[in-house]
Amino acid sequence: MYKEKYLLCENNSIMAGDKGIIVAIRENPERGFRLLMASYKEPVYWHIRRLVVSHADAQDVAQETFVRIFRNFHQYNEENSFKAWIFRIATNEALRLLGKLKNSAMLSLDEVTADMLGTKTDEHFDNSDAITMKLQQAILHLPTKQQLAFSLRYYDEMSYEEIAEVAGSTAASMKVNYNIAKEKIIAYMNNND
Amino acid sequence: MDKQFNFEQIGKRMPYNVPDGFFDRLEQNVMAEVKADNCKSAQLKPKVQKAHTVKIAIRTILAAAAAVALFFVVTMNMSNDTSPTEDSFTNVELAYNNLSTEDQEFLLEVYEEDEFINDSNEEDYEEDI
Repeated sequence: MYKEKYLLCENNSIMAGDKGIIVAIRENPERGFRLLMASYKEPVYWHIRRLVVSHADAQDVAQETFVRIFRNFHQYNEENSFKAWIFRIATNEALRLLGKLKNSAMLSLDEVTADMLGTKTDEHFDNSDAITMKLQQAILHLPTKQQLAFSLRYYDEMSYEEIAEVAGSTAASMKVNYNIAKEKIIAYMNNND
Repeated sequence: MDKQFNFEQIGKRMPYNVPDGFFDRLEQNVMAEVKADNCKSAQLKPKVQKAHTVKIAIRTILAAAAAVALFFVVTMNMSNDTSPTEDSFTNVELAYNNLSTEDQEFLLEVYEEDEFINDSNEEDYEEDI
């Protein structure tokens, strides 16, 4: 049932596209925002989830992200990628939450994320899938920029230009970060059997 | 030989899952907040627009009244060329007294704010230079 709806949403989003969503929001904000949610609720949630790990945190951050997108839609500049703008807001919200955790735990941001799978597991984790757990652990051990570069390229298939817009960097820098991240992950996966 | 890790072994699989119907509930929660936002702005808009319209209407009426008053004053002055200056002032005073309080206040405001007809402003201007 859910699967069918997701496929339907995917089809809708392909038909609408980012430009269609933007036009729809301008003509009828509520209808346009429904199209946006249909296209982006899942990729945005999973992007946030990979950063904050816990489902409860990801849920809060995702909700806040979409409300912010709606409230700040007038600030979106059409010269930039709409997808990158949405993911930038999601990333900022996720990093804001991690920043709060860092302050409360007196740890660095990288230490907080590296420890996530050790402390944040709940019933919404599949502990039986060891290799995927290990890959996420490897990603969480990366510095934030490398994490973003890898996650947005590997899972969300973004261009380096889009990733640069999300991370507030240059495409060349994000390409370097992605390649370093990939090498580190391969080394982690090979050395920690 | 070491078995080298290959990303294709995993693809995009993740060890995370969500409760049943989670994405539908997420959308409902967000849309509820968005609708609440819309209602707030919709409630604010008419009030703001109404207040703005009333302001414009009052200003237009006052401006029209002032223009009519000035027309009468100028006409009276022109029709009585031979009358002394004192008479002109009397006429102006009479015309001014015939205006409503609001129109009187408006004229006074215009007079006080006008740099070219107000001596005190002119003096200030000279001092500034």
